[in-house]
Amino acid sequence: MTITAPDRARDWIGGEPARVDHFARGVPVSGDERSFGTGPNRFVAPALALDALVWPRNEPGPAFDTPVDEIMDVLVQLGDWIGCDPDGLVAKALEASLRTNPLPAGVLREAFALLGGSFTRRGMEFMIEQEFGGADVLDGWRTVPGAPSGRPVRIRAFPARVVHVLAGNAPGVAAMSVLRGALTKGVNLFKMPSNDLYSTTVLLAGLHAVAPGHPTTRSFSAAYWRGGDEAVESVLFRPQFFDKLAAWGGDAALRSAKSYVGPGFELVSFDPKTSISLIGRETFASPEALEEAAEAAARDIMLMDQQACAASRFQYVEGGTEEADRFAAALLPRLGVARRLGSAVGNPVPAHIRSEVEALRDLEPYARVFGEYTGRGLVVRSEDPVDFHPENKVANVVPVESLEHAIGRINVATQSVGVYPAARKAALRDRLASAGAVRICMLGDVPVVESGLPHDGFYPMQRLVRWVSDEG
Amino acid sequence: MDQASHTLIEMGQGEDPYRFGQKELLPIQLDAADAVVGERRQQVPLLERRVRDAGRERITRKADLVPLLFPHTTYKSYPAAFVEKKRWTQLARWLSTLSAADLTTVDFDGVADEDEWVDRLRANGHFVLATSGTTGKCSFLSHSAEDRVRKVRTFDRLLGWPYARADRTRGYFWLGPHVGVNSATDAANIGAELWSTPDNSFFLTDERLRLTDVSRMAAMRHRMADGSATPGEIACFERDQRARGDELSPRVEAFVDLLLDRRHEKLAISGLWAQHLLIRDRARARGISDGDFHPETIVSAGGGVKNVALPPDYKQRVASFYGDVIRPGNYGMTETFQLMQRCEQLRYHIPPALLPLVLDRTGETLLNTEDVTGEVIEGRFAFVDFSITGRWTGTITSDKVEFDTHPHCPCGRPGPTILDTITRYRTDDDSIGCAGTIDGYLRGALAS
Repeated sequence: MTITAPDRARDWIGGEPARVDHFARGVPVSGDERSFGTGPNRFVAPALALDALVWPRNEPGPAFDTPVDEIMDVLVQLGDWIGCDPDGLVAKALEASLRTNPLPAGVLREAFALLGGSFTRRGMEFMIEQEFGGADVLDGWRTVPGAPSGRPVRIRAFPARVVHVLAGNAPGVAAMSVLRGALTKGVNLFKMPSNDLYSTTVLLAGLHAVAPGHPTTRSFSAAYWRGGDEAVESVLFRPQFFDKLAAWGGDAALRSAKSYVGPGFELVSFDPKTSISLIGRETFASPEALEEAAEAAARDIMLMDQQACAASRFQYVEGGTEEADRFAAALLPRLGVARRLGSAVGNPVPAHIRSEVEALRDLEPYARVFGEYTGRGLVVRSEDPVDFHPENKVANVVPVESLEHAIGRINVATQSVGVYPAARKAALRDRLASAGAVRICMLGDVPVVESGLPHDGFYPMQRLVRWVSDEG
Repeated sequence: MDQASHTLIEMGQGEDPYRFGQKELLPIQLDAADAVVGERRQQVPLLERRVRDAGRERITRKADLVPLLFPHTTYKSYPAAFVEKKRWTQLARWLSTLSAADLTTVDFDGVADEDEWVDRLRANGHFVLATSGTTGKCSFLSHSAEDRVRKVRTFDRLLGWPYARADRTRGYFWLGPHVGVNSATDAANIGAELWSTPDNSFFLTDERLRLTDVSRMAAMRHRMADGSATPGEIACFERDQRARGDELSPRVEAFVDLLLDRRHEKLAISGLWAQHLLIRDRARARGISDGDFHPETIVSAGGGVKNVALPPDYKQRVASFYGDVIRPGNYGMTETFQLMQRCEQLRYHIPPALLPLVLDRTGETLLNTEDVTGEVIEGRFAFVDFSITGRWTGTITSDKVEFDTHPHCPCGRPGPTILDTITRYRTDDDSIGCAGTIDGYLRGALAS
């Protein structure tokens, strides 16, 4: 997916290219030996010193034996460091991101401001409790009672060696990956995406600042190479260096990486996802209900200006064309209201979507279009779901005879499903899950992303460790 | 048709169609653009909206046209459900919104698929061309019957330029199908008509090139997405797709043999690069040496380099294989009937009835403004074609061109010209997001 930011591109009048740093086992590396992109998207990065980015297989990783409690102390300090920004590095990273990241400035600022919020002790304890039932199994060997053989058995969630191919549509992806990597104590190399070149490195800069030389700090490397670069990936993506490839975004991230997955080198895939809303006929019982549902739907649609996988793209409305039109009309003004991680006026609707929407404007009553392309929100009501992938605050309202009829639209790519009213959720959830959905919420609650709950159908930290048993 | 457009078309029919300079052409082109926009906006609602949004009622300079240009994808902007559900009148209604004529009055009774839909439109005087996409949607472009006549006349004047003129004296070999509603097939048929005679024209197959295959694939993707496709169905589908590829092989060999048998005659051979390499392979297998063709044979190669594995030196290989034959080149596309022929200096020249507009990458800003001269600019190619009346022809392509605004080409003829470096715009970054669709979950013959 590519999003252009023409306004920023126009503002660019030449000058120095952006600089991207690497981190080699916790230590920042600067340089401009390599150049990527052109015009306003050009950036320079240090030479790729592969030897310095990886950890020798014949030695334990730096943090393998560091207690979780101590790691959480470091991470809490990291969260504070991001909040206070004593060295001005977060501001600098934000400034650089504003130049290259396609997200609107307001959303990006807020996302950076929220980066530190992931590192609260309460949040981390909840994650560990949910995913591991306690830190004991990370710090040492947990006794498993009642093995049928009668033998004493112990297990440990042992640190792993992980190379991450990160997504860049939300800076939170980097924060979550650092958090999970640190708590599971393994060694982690981050391959940064071209649409977010700064949030990973600012987090690692923070670790370097609050705990230089700490085992956790030394457990992280980050670098940029063009995704799929065989010269790099064929060397690094080997069981000799890593146990796992944690890849976001499906094919775009995997490309050649898929051919390297094999015995000893497994894939942990954070798949590309689409999210939707199911809006029951109760919405039309009163003007208040309509307003409430429209506002809640807007919250779900506008998450990261609809760049996140959890952001709703299709709104299935129980009723006929008339109800769907009423809902669409009520939704449009709500898309122009600024909210947490959502701008009042975002990036304009991309040209490829605009061209399809233009055609739909002339096809009433099959479809009806509400709003313009200015970034204040656009709603397309259509008999069938639109053929394009809605983004940049574009909602597609589709009438359905009943919410159960919309289940045919759920598939293995479906992530979050927001339901209105909440009372309808329980009756729908089994069928939604059966069809492929992995997260069912009250409409409007989708942006409340809670770490420690399953992600895309699995517990990520459980997949980022190696489960080892000590028997007898 | 307005007088200025008519004048431009006739200028393109003269002794040397590329002999006019910008100073002479531009005022007429702007007059034509103004007249065409004035007329077409009353027929094409999307153009009317663009004119209103832009707030420019008259066209007095090239930049006035930029907000009115349609991206080439406009011509496949219909809901795919119209084809899937066989809602042919609805599809015609969509195409009418992009056409000068009303197509909804056509009776679509009994139409089974989109090939028949196009046939029916053509039978009713609407010359519709299609392009077959690979991912489930075809483009449809509407023209009048007169537009098609003008197209043949334009091709008649320009094909072979500057080395030869179509004279109906050659054996014609087209390495593709004879029947189909896509523009490549139409161009091949025009080529056969102009270079050759019916008894001396050879097509790879008389079997129709079906757009339906594209929608068949779309329907299958749909069933995969909603979970209703069975393993047996998928296996059968994949087998069919493979069979279609294999089916051609013996036929290709017989066809290539016929061509090689007649290599000492004056021929006109047209095909994609990969197909020319196939001919070369077959010639090698038969022990035919390089350069063993009649020197007046015309060889045209192009397109088809997408998704095809070609050796890096494919152009060189084809060149040495045919040796000293006539190798005209042109830059063209479905969206325009005007051919930009390549001169002896390997520059593409622009016919009078085509107004070239070079835009920035985003397609928003004009780069070849009236005051730019004497420099080579790189940008996205866009144009207005004054020879087509059936639709608004202002189009933005996905092609990146180097456009030389010098008043003269190194060949001595007036400029501007396009350098022989045309490529597609592609995204060269590796932006990754966690949002995506079911398309990322399909593989095999169904993957795009």
